[in-house]
Amino acid sequence: MSENLVNALDGNTFVVSDRRGDIVASPTDTTGLFSFDTRFLSKWVLTVDGQRLSPLSVNDLQYFETRFFLVPGTGTIYVNATLSVVRQRAVGNGFHEELTILNHDEKPVDLRVRIDAGSDFADIFEIKDAVGKKGKYYRRIDKQKLVLGYERETFRRETTISSSAPTQLDEDGLSFSLKIGPHSSWTTDLAVVTALAGREEEHDKPKYGRAARMARPNMAHSLEKWLEEAPSLVSDWEPLHTTYRRSLVDLAALRFTLPIGRGASLPAAGLPWFMAIFGRDSILTSLQALPFAPELAATTIRALGAWQGTRVDDFRDEDPGRIVHEIRAGETAAFEEQPHSPYYGNADATPLYVVLLDEYERWSGDSVLVRDREPQARAALAWIEEYADLQGNGYISYQRRNEETGLENQCWKDSWDSISYRDGRLPGFPRATCELQGYAYDAKIRGARLARTVWKDPEYADQLERQAADLKRRFNSDFWIEDGQYYALALDGDGSQVDALSSNIGHLLWSGIVDKSKAEAVARHLMGPQLFSGWGVRTLADGEARFNPVGYHTGAVWPFDNAFIAWGLRRYGFKAEAARIAAGILDAADYFSGRLPEAFAGYDRAFTVYPVEYPTACSPQAWSTGTPLLLLRTMLGLEPLGEHLVVEPALPRAIGLLALLNVPGRWGTIDVFGRGGVREEPKTRLRPQLSDGNQ
Amino acid sequence: MAMADPTSDFFERLGQPGARRLGNVTASIRIDLDRGKATEHWLLAIDKGNISVSRKNTKADAALHTDKEIFDRLARGEASPLASMLRGLVQAEGDTELIVLFQGLFPAPHNPLSRQASADMKSQPA
Repeated sequence: MSENLVNALDGNTFVVSDRRGDIVASPTDTTGLFSFDTRFLSKWVLTVDGQRLSPLSVNDLQYFETRFFLVPGTGTIYVNATLSVVRQRAVGNGFHEELTILNHDEKPVDLRVRIDAGSDFADIFEIKDAVGKKGKYYRRIDKQKLVLGYERETFRRETTISSSAPTQLDEDGLSFSLKIGPHSSWTTDLAVVTALAGREEEHDKPKYGRAARMARPNMAHSLEKWLEEAPSLVSDWEPLHTTYRRSLVDLAALRFTLPIGRGASLPAAGLPWFMAIFGRDSILTSLQALPFAPELAATTIRALGAWQGTRVDDFRDEDPGRIVHEIRAGETAAFEEQPHSPYYGNADATPLYVVLLDEYERWSGDSVLVRDREPQARAALAWIEEYADLQGNGYISYQRRNEETGLENQCWKDSWDSISYRDGRLPGFPRATCELQGYAYDAKIRGARLARTVWKDPEYADQLERQAADLKRRFNSDFWIEDGQYYALALDGDGSQVDALSSNIGHLLWSGIVDKSKAEAVARHLMGPQLFSGWGVRTLADGEARFNPVGYHTGAVWPFDNAFIAWGLRRYGFKAEAARIAAGILDAADYFSGRLPEAFAGYDRAFTVYPVEYPTACSPQAWSTGTPLLLLRTMLGLEPLGEHLVVEPALPRAIGLLALLNVPGRWGTIDVFGRGGVREEPKTRLRPQLSDGNQ
Repeated sequence: MAMADPTSDFFERLGQPGARRLGNVTASIRIDLDRGKATEHWLLAIDKGNISVSRKNTKADAALHTDKEIFDRLARGEASPLASMLRGLVQAEGDTELIVLFQGLFPAPHNPLSRQASADMKSQPA
């Protein structure tokens, strides 16, 4: 991927091209212009006098804008240094490309400029598992525009291409015959507009037709505003500035603007496969970003509340009250070849929805939104009792009803082999993973607080608290593995313990379901050599049969996972341990130029010296982007209490000063400061680091 | 079974006391259904989640437009509202949050597997 460029805008539309700005996609190649889970351009190739161009430099101007400096010719044969070509591209409702050709010669020049365009209209799912198309393609020239289309029954997707300068259009692209004077230039604006065309009369309506060029100043303004409104960071740990800024900019890029939010946005999951609404990802990212961008949480609460399940639908694994898992707009979703219209197959987003609602109210004081969402919150809490207890044992468990295209593992570790016994066997279904019970406990406790303070229903609050206390008591007996002194990863279909040691136990600390007397043993495991790599906590402990340092959920380190674990450690008073995780993950972030990938390898830190990126990790990815934000909150020990913000810093030892200015919340804005303890000179190594992983 | 009008039945159920509520919303949604050359209109006036139904053709916060025949299928749970929108069978405009809430009022589609998927499976050799 390193030779490709990614441009993203508003989460929904993005372009991946080569360093010339060209797109030459194959059915299994990921380049192209994508929007609404559909590839709208799979070919976009510029030639001058029949020759491809060579890149001199590429500038990422903004997350939505790239400039390519090119010269004619490729490889060793380019000699014509009297011409330069500049392509400046901004993404949004398709893209806008300003193409400029400069003649540096003292003589005029005649040129044939050509852009070849085409689209396979692949669904994002087809790119992963390339399958044949069932509809038919068409192309036509319509009012000086080239229209590329795909049609299957009433499903229609179109790409419309036009040029501001006169052009010769044919069904395969645009041609320009130019004469450029000495020391002169020629330029044209190319508009590529994507449309979800429905009925005949909807065809050329400009609903989706705003050229990106018109929107461009607004996008830049919006990014500037976004950065301005976020708290400012002050720290003597220089790399933190890069990481913080990168996080804010990437979060801006991953925002998915929903009409539902009236211009507000919620975080989409990540590039390139998860650029849709994901319940779990949106909730966890909103939680991470709460002290920095609380509006993300508000939109997530609105959008996920609107999509909350209302019926029992086996194909979509939908139940009343269940929070949505994934929504897709591509062809396979439209024809129900995939269940994402929407798909509800997760067991965690529903309790987490209530957790977010409460955490949002505690930070923002926005009781209007929280009062308004009372029906959704009650329905979510009712789902835990009425639909999630598949075994009748009082625990949330999951088993897909859609056996063909539904998800087997409906927790965040959703790959097929993520849940195993120590000896590597995979448990039967239903599966009740431990962190789900933690989330349920937290949802009940927080639901009770909201019932008492906002919804004014003390009886309901009492009922939820009784349920929570009962759940906690049972959980600490049924899941606790006495021999190992940790919680089982899950209960299997028979209600027996799935005994692997995993990072999931860290989420239990975050949820508060852990008995005080057991917390120290859990913290010791998290920081022990089996789970802690020196960079972070591995998803599965070294020593378990399925452990593999490059196993997606069986050994890799997930930054977001660690951020929640650090939060959990602080909740139980393990300040130094939380700071150590923050140090490891922030060190890793520095190696990735401030952009944490979805996951990196679980090798021991002493073994690899630098963090090894997981082979096909998504980057940027929303909850990894949110990770440094939550770590900042954790290091500073920020906790809303009534109308105030409690600050209780516990910094990694190499950070002398850490401050956030203008932290928004129900208190207005507030500046928070933390000072380190003993300052040590870092040992000589590749670069200064916060920790060596063994302190 | 008598040849009832699934669309009328659907709206009648929505307007009954004790019927499903629409969150805490106060707003209006109009549904325009093409029936040959004529168009029939339904208006949902929603007050704090309580729905009342009329046949008025007035401006609303959100509007849906489709064929009567297609709406009948949605009302019988024979088609998915979002999949129908993605296929271009149903057009929506106005407040998307209302549209999303409204789609939740349709009955569950008849599946274990979706109709489309079942049809595809039948057409495949065993």
